Amino acid sequence: MEKTMKTAIKAVIRKDIRSITVNRQLFITILVVPLVLTLIVPSIFMLVIHFAPEELTEFERILTLLPLTDQSVDTGRMVSTLVFNYILPLFFLMIPIMAASVMAAASFAGEKEQRTLETLLYGPLTVKQLFYAKVSASFLFSMLVSWSSFFVMLLAVETENYFLNGRFLIPGANWFAVMFLVSPAVSLIAIILIVRGSAKAQNMMEAQQKAAFLVFPVVLLLAGQFSGVMLFRVWMFAAAGAVLFIAAWILLKASLRNFNYEKLLL
Amino acid sequence: MKNAVIMNEITKQYPGGKRAVEHMSIALKEGEVFGFLGPNGAGKTTTVKILNGMIMPSEGTCEVLGIDPAKHPDQVHALSGVMTEHAQMYDHLTGRQNLIFYGELFGMSAAESAARAGELLEESELAAAGEKKLATYSTGMRQRLSLARAMMHRPKVLFLDEPTSGLDPESVQNVNRLIRTLAQERGITVFLCTHQLRYAQEVCTRYGLIAEGKLLIDGSLGELRRRVSPGITLGIRTDMVPERLPFLKKGDGYYEITLKAETEIPGIVRAITEAGGSIYEVTPKLPSLEDIYFALTASKTHVTEVSGWKKQ
Repeated sequence: MEKTMKTAIKAVIRKDIRSITVNRQLFITILVVPLVLTLIVPSIFMLVIHFAPEELTEFERILTLLPLTDQSVDTGRMVSTLVFNYILPLFFLMIPIMAASVMAAASFAGEKEQRTLETLLYGPLTVKQLFYAKVSASFLFSMLVSWSSFFVMLLAVETENYFLNGRFLIPGANWFAVMFLVSPAVSLIAIILIVRGSAKAQNMMEAQQKAAFLVFPVVLLLAGQFSGVMLFRVWMFAAAGAVLFIAAWILLKASLRNFNYEKLLL
Repeated sequence: MKNAVIMNEITKQYPGGKRAVEHMSIALKEGEVFGFLGPNGAGKTTTVKILNGMIMPSEGTCEVLGIDPAKHPDQVHALSGVMTEHAQMYDHLTGRQNLIFYGELFGMSAAESAARAGELLEESELAAAGEKKLATYSTGMRQRLSLARAMMHRPKVLFLDEPTSGLDPESVQNVNRLIRTLAQERGITVFLCTHQLRYAQEVCTRYGLIAEGKLLIDGSLGELRRRVSPGITLGIRTDMVPERLPFLKKGDGYYEITLKAETEIPGIVRAITEAGGSIYEVTPKLPSLEDIYFALTASKTHVTEVSGWKKQ
């Protein structure tokens, strides 16, 4: 790609991310879900495991079914590991999608509503490059929120665990598969679909409704499916991530087909 | 001089069957300020969109600086600047930030964009408002910033759709001066769409008059006058006119007569004085663009009524 095109795409990405971060109300709304899922929920888990181990009988039954860990260690430790390595990663399928959905929904519909889309289209980017820039902006933002949430969660969980139990939890290989493969791939698919919907929508409201109808069932489905998949071997999990990436790539190519100025401006 | 913009038998028919542009053929020379004039809904904006590849023509071909916008719209955009009322900027950014963003969109570096933005804010008399958010700008300030935005990447062709709507008379003069400078000193071709004929007459070097998607006529003002209404209207303020002359009484002591050429004026003046009349004022009036437009559309009264552009 030419240097000037790269500058242009980067400018669109920066502008889109900025438009979300300067809107304090919107930005706070976006941050609520990650904060709840990475700070409050894990903390409740850790506190319950420590202070009310009698509540763990349900978990104990699950643990006996799982071939996962050394059964000789105490239940509290095993449950903490189960929660940390098998439940918390699931949140990272939802966090990036939910964080990016507002931005992806605004990608084209927001520009239409502000009457800035035409100005953008009179620029030297092709419609495909613009679509790519819009998807990239939402994707980068989603990964930024996702990784920041991950480090916040890690800091909180490890600190709590250290003070409550005097030890750290060791992240399992699942975390790597989720953070590097499955979560980015799933986010990318959701973002492409929402951006495509946004291009067809007339206003923000319509785009956001489309995004909500599309995203929440997908998120729930994935969460349900992956809670089972989590128990597979890591390489299978990683393979699932790779397949999703290929699916995202095919979806991106398919979305770019039949995409032109006239359809965008109608 | 080369042609900067060429339209060859362009027609745009929308799926519903409505024809927004019909068999339009125009050629613009480099450095020309071309006034594309017609009432609202005549097809001006559609033409600008076709010339920028935003909509595909149903028939015909066009070129902007030798590039076919239907095939390579991105290449046309890199060389042209477009200002239309539908192309707005970001309210949450300041005037300066907006210009810098559009500079970068055209591949300029951050430093280059910032320098150019400063230059254009100065030229547009917006330097003081440069750090204010666009949301606080008045209509006139927005218009001026839009014009600056269209010029950020130093385009070779400028498409301006109603560039002075919402501007006060002083700002209109500034925009006119700017357009003239761009064309004369920098050789930029300007395609100026407006429904304000009087404004167009001040700034354009050539005109295309359109109605209902069709080009009625094009040429310089002199050419249009020769072709449409070659006569001169002579206005005379006097206390009497000889009855043998076909004067029309237009007001108290004010008369008009249509002549074929300026050479007839001394004879008319002499005839009045010889008949004992006193002359206080003699004004030869050449037909304006408005006169020409209405002479052309006189037979089609529905044109002016439907599109809300009535003769005053």
